[in-house]
Amino acid sequence: MEAVLHAPRRSFVREWVLTVDHKKIGIMYGVTALFFFLIGGLFALLVRTDLLSYRGVFDAQSYNEFFTMHATVMVFLVIIPMLMGAFANYLVPLQVGARDMAFPRMNALSYWLYFVGGIIILLSMLYGMPDSGWTSYPPYSLTSQGPGMDFWVMAIHIVGLSSILGAINIIVTVHRMRAPGMTWNRLPLFVWSTLVTAYMQLFATPALAGAVTTLLLDRHFGTAFYDTSAGGDPMMYQHLFWFYSHPAVYIMIVPAFGIISEVIPVFARKPIFGYHAIAYSSVAIGFLGFFVWAHHMFVAGMQMSAGIPFMISSLVIAVPTSVKIFNWLATMWRGAVEYTVPMMFASLGFIGSFIIGGFSGVIVAAVPLDMHLHDTYFVVAHIHYVLFGGAVMCIMAGIHFWFPKLTGRMYNEKLGYLGFWLYFIGTQVTFFPMHLVGLAGMPRRIASYAPIFQTWNQVATIGSYILGLGTLVILYNLMVSAKYGRKVGHNPWHARTLEWTVSSPPPEHNFEEIPVVTENPYRPYTPEELTASRESA
Amino acid sequence: MTSSSWLPAQLTSMAHNVDLLFYIMLGIITFFFVVVEVLLITFLIRYRRTKRNQVGVNVHGNNVLETVWTLIPALILVFMGAYSVKYVYEAQNPPAKPLVIEVIGHEWFWEFKYPNGLDTHNDLRIPAGQNVLFDIHSADVIHGFYIPEARIQQDALPGRMTQFWVNVDTKDIGKQFQVPCDQFCGTGHPIMVGKLTVMSADDFNSWMQTELQKQQTKS
Ligand code: HEM
Ligand SMILES: [Cu+2]
Ligand SMILES: [Cu+2]
Repeated sequence: MEAVLHAPRRSFVREWVLTVDHKKIGIMYGVTALFFFLIGGLFALLVRTDLLSYRGVFDAQSYNEFFTMHATVMVFLVIIPMLMGAFANYLVPLQVGARDMAFPRMNALSYWLYFVGGIIILLSMLYGMPDSGWTSYPPYSLTSQGPGMDFWVMAIHIVGLSSILGAINIIVTVHRMRAPGMTWNRLPLFVWSTLVTAYMQLFATPALAGAVTTLLLDRHFGTAFYDTSAGGDPMMYQHLFWFYSHPAVYIMIVPAFGIISEVIPVFARKPIFGYHAIAYSSVAIGFLGFFVWAHHMFVAGMQMSAGIPFMISSLVIAVPTSVKIFNWLATMWRGAVEYTVPMMFASLGFIGSFIIGGFSGVIVAAVPLDMHLHDTYFVVAHIHYVLFGGAVMCIMAGIHFWFPKLTGRMYNEKLGYLGFWLYFIGTQVTFFPMHLVGLAGMPRRIASYAPIFQTWNQVATIGSYILGLGTLVILYNLMVSAKYGRKVGHNPWHARTLEWTVSSPPPEHNFEEIPVVTENPYRPYTPEELTASRESA
Repeated sequence: MTSSSWLPAQLTSMAHNVDLLFYIMLGIITFFFVVVEVLLITFLIRYRRTKRNQVGVNVHGNNVLETVWTLIPALILVFMGAYSVKYVYEAQNPPAKPLVIEVIGHEWFWEFKYPNGLDTHNDLRIPAGQNVLFDIHSADVIHGFYIPEARIQQDALPGRMTQFWVNVDTKDIGKQFQVPCDQFCGTGHPIMVGKLTVMSADDFNSWMQTELQKQQTKS
């Protein structure tokens, strides 16, 4: 507490813009990502509004720009930076018992690169928005008019660089800066999951850079990587792109799994069940994630049977995922579950919805079924059950969980539950019907569609408005509570990971004295310890 | 299209097989879905925090359970994969002596070239009860040639040929279906929809001839 009170007063520029403190950088990442979440969400609502009528409400060109911006913003500017920029930055040094990241200035550079990349994406709106989807397959993306597409390429490059630098920082911090006694067997599961993710970012992102660079070269410098008349091959782009983007889908979920592994044991008041199984299954996912990319290309011109190995690897990667689900359930078994807002997001919100996305993943991973379902709304349903029902639910669980740590205040619980229920119901109403029209053969990325699909599309659009409302409720609650919320002590949830041993918010260099770690952080509180913890809080 | 919210009509015996595979997998995942949701809700309610239930039991794990819930999903998933393999080969290997129709994707329409030289736009007709092989490619960007009722699609690429084949049931003679483009290809993507008409072999042949003559007299 002292350290906070005695911290010198600084100007906004010194305090934030020039900061190299991992916690401040983490908060800047988080606030920026939430801002882009609103932008990406706005585009999503435009997309859904278009689909209220089977004829389409907007023209096709605008629609294409909307869904391209939506996905680009959500993937590159929201989920990845939120998990690996905001959460990992704020929590990894605290949880391993370090005073900061290994390379604090590089950390600031990562943030500012991300910021600039985001600005470029926003600017592209003024210069002919990109319209080729977040996948930007050539040759179509080569023909896209105006500089919007080039802005897109540039932004992807910059954000990719930011991602690589951030990953290096996390890897070095976790390997080199753990407090004495913080052995691998005592490492918090969130740290395990970010470490695995950082390795995935490090090895996968260069492939994306290669993919978009070749696009740029083809567009402006007369090369022919993707020009078939000159011996180029558009499929090479898809291989490069998915060599990054399949690991990227795990980059968007593995850290989120880490959040769940922290939240559930705290509110179930039970040790995490199967610590090693959860840690090693993240490693398994990180490794297997590099061997499944072509499951996005089953119908893209590969020989059908060439898809078989990728089908098998994709089915196998579902195993470590299901191991985690069973371990989280077992953590709740014979626990003492408290229905806090983060726990609702983690249990019903995340587990309850995400498994639907896992199961639909298994369906599309089967080559014969994907021959029918590829690029239909079924895939859109799958993506959103894993990314919204999965990653976003975890992010919301995490934000509410660590909110008292960041601010020293508690969010308003009533509004918290309202936000949760709007999200939970909105998710099902928006995304479940997409399975049905997808099975019936409705293609994705279309601004107008066959009239028979209209009813379900209208249902989905109503669901998306519920989600929009939920987002506003949640953000309003966080903003108001950060200023006016009830004050809480350093450990309101009675958790054991190291960030809860320091003040809320933590002092500038985290620990007055570097802690010595003597046990795994998932031992539950005994009744006596609980009483003591309540009194100190 | 006959259904707005479930699998559409089955045009071919392959569609029957694919649906069977789908229902088997759907059955398995529904079973596990119910198991997980029931456990989740039960644990949430049964083990909620109360005055008397303040702290959970001190259990850290169980290796037997870990092994069981790793191996059972692994076996089931690998079974699903292995079971799917034969369908892949069935779909991949074209039958002997098929009728070949060339499919060319354009921004934004489908061009069909028939064996006698007839060339149509968005008008696909196939004889029932006969093996029909599609040679698919594109004149510009990537498109996706998709027949939902046959449960199959392949991308139409520039500079590379993809293929699939169908053998449509005679019960569907006279029926019409849609052939949407299933790979994003620009502003015309949503309206790039061909019309598929199933004909009897005789009708098909005479249609091909008369259409060809019409085209030749026009040009
Ligand atoms: C159980 C494990 C999973 C399996 C077996 C699986 C399988 C698949 C397959 C086969 C596709 C391609 C479908 C198609 O385009 O025809 C796909 C698409 C996709 N998956 Fe998964 N998936 C799994 C989990 C996840 C997770 C955890 C995420 C992210 C958090 C994810 C995100 C996506 C995305 C974003 C796409 C669509 C990409 C696009 O075309 O734009 N999946 N998945
Ligand atoms: Cu994938
Ligand atoms: Cu298309």
